[in-house]
Amino acid sequence: MAGLKNFSVNKKKGSLLKILIGGFIILFVLVILNFFVSPIKNFVYTLSLPVQKTFWTAGESSSSFLGSFFQAGSIKKENENLKTENENLLAQLAVLKSIEQGNQAQSEISVSCQNSGFKLLMAGVIGLDDQDILSINKGSADGILEGMPVINQQNVLFGKVFKVYKNFSKIMLISNKNSVVNVKIQQSQDCEDPEIDGVVKGKGGLNAYLDLVPIDKDINPQDVLVTSALDKSFPKDLLVAKITQKEKNDQKPFQQAQISLFSNVKSVDNLFVITNYKQAQ
Amino acid sequence: MWKKLLAITFLFYIFALLQNSFLTHFNLFGAIPNLVFILFFSLVFFDKKDNNYQVILYAVLAGIFLDVFSYTYLGPSIIILLIIGFLLKGIQMSLKSTEDKHPFVYFLPLFLIFLLAYNFLLGLYLYLLDPNKIILAFGITTIFLLIYNLFIASIFFYIHKKFNGKKI
Repeated sequence: MAGLKNFSVNKKKGSLLKILIGGFIILFVLVILNFFVSPIKNFVYTLSLPVQKTFWTAGESSSSFLGSFFQAGSIKKENENLKTENENLLAQLAVLKSIEQGNQAQSEISVSCQNSGFKLLMAGVIGLDDQDILSINKGSADGILEGMPVINQQNVLFGKVFKVYKNFSKIMLISNKNSVVNVKIQQSQDCEDPEIDGVVKGKGGLNAYLDLVPIDKDINPQDVLVTSALDKSFPKDLLVAKITQKEKNDQKPFQQAQISLFSNVKSVDNLFVITNYKQAQ
Repeated sequence: MWKKLLAITFLFYIFALLQNSFLTHFNLFGAIPNLVFILFFSLVFFDKKDNNYQVILYAVLAGIFLDVFSYTYLGPSIIILLIIGFLLKGIQMSLKSTEDKHPFVYFLPLFLIFLLAYNFLLGLYLYLLDPNKIILAFGITTIFLLIYNLFIASIFFYIHKKFNGKKI
C-alpha cells in the first residue's frame, strides 16, 4: 500500500516536472522567435498576400450584395434624408458662390500648398482585426514610418501608421480605443462660433465619439468634424466625421456627441499614406 | 497522424486569413468571429481526455497564427491557449460523465467562459506587457462578440458531431 502511495506521489512529481520542463522549453523558443518577429511576420504576410487580398475583395463584394437585401427597407428613409441634405447643400452653395470670387485666389494658393506639400503613397488594404487595426501592403521598404497619417482620396482621415514591417504596415484606425484626435467642428447652421474645438475618441468596434466640447458651445447634428491645427499628428482640415446626436449634460463641464465616421473601412480598397507630413511641417 | 496534423495546420491558417480579411466585412457592431479560437476549442473539447500532447500542439498552432496576424509579439496567444486547453481538459475530467461524452450543455457554457477568459487575458497582456499599452474595448462589442462566436461555435459543434459522431 505504502509502495502504491509512493508510486502515485512520484508519478505526480514526474508529470509536474514534465510540465515545468515543457513550459520552460516553450518560453525559451518564444523568446528566441521574438528576436525575428518582424522577418517572420513579413514572410507570412508576403506569402498570404494574394489569398488575403482575394478574401478581402470577396468579402467586400459579398457583404455589399447581401447588404443591399437587408437594407432595402431603409433605402426610402435614406433617400428622404439625402434629399433634405441636398437642399441644405444647395442653399449653402448659393451663399458660397457669392463669396467664391473674393476667396478664389486665396483658396487656390492654400489648396496648392496643401496638395503639393504632401507626398502620398497608395497602399492596398488587406486586412482588419477586431481591435480596429488595419493592414496595408506597403511597409518600410516603401518609405513608410510609424506615425504617418493615412487618408483616402476624398481626404478622409482613417488613422495613423502604428507598426511597420518590411512590406506591410498596421494602421491604428481613429476608432481604436487608444486613438485621440483633436478636431474642430464646422457648423452646418449659421452660428456665432464658426469653429469649435473638440476631441474625437475611439471606442472600438469601428465607432468613435466626440468629447471635450465646451458646454456653452452650440453643436448640432450634421455638423462636420475636421482635423484641427492643434493636432500635430495629422494635417489640418482632413474630414473625420459628422455629428449624429449631441449629449449635453449641464452638470458636466464638457459635452459629448455621437458621431458617424466618414472612414468606411468596409468599402475601402486603397488608402494613401502621407509620407512627408512631419518633414513638411 | 501527419495528414491530420497538416490538415489542421492548413485549417488554422485559412481561418486566420478569413477572420482577418473576409469576415471583417461581416462584423456585427465591430465584433468579428474568432474562427481560430473556435477551431482550437472544438478540437480540445472533442479530443481524448488524457491527450495532453495534442492540447500543446493545438495551442501552439492556433496561437502562432493568432499572434502572427496581430500587431504584438509572438507568444501571448500561445500561452493563453495552453492555459485554456489544460483548464478545459481538467474541467472536462471533473464533469459528470453522461451517456453522450460531449454534450452541448457542457460545450456551450465552457465555450463562453473560455472565450471571455481569452479576451480578458489578452487584453490584460496588451495593456500590462505590450509596449504600446493598447486598451481593448470591452462593452457592447464584447456582448456581440460572444453571441457571434457562440453561433459559429454551435455550427462547428454540430458539424463535428455529425462527421465524427461514431468515432467519439
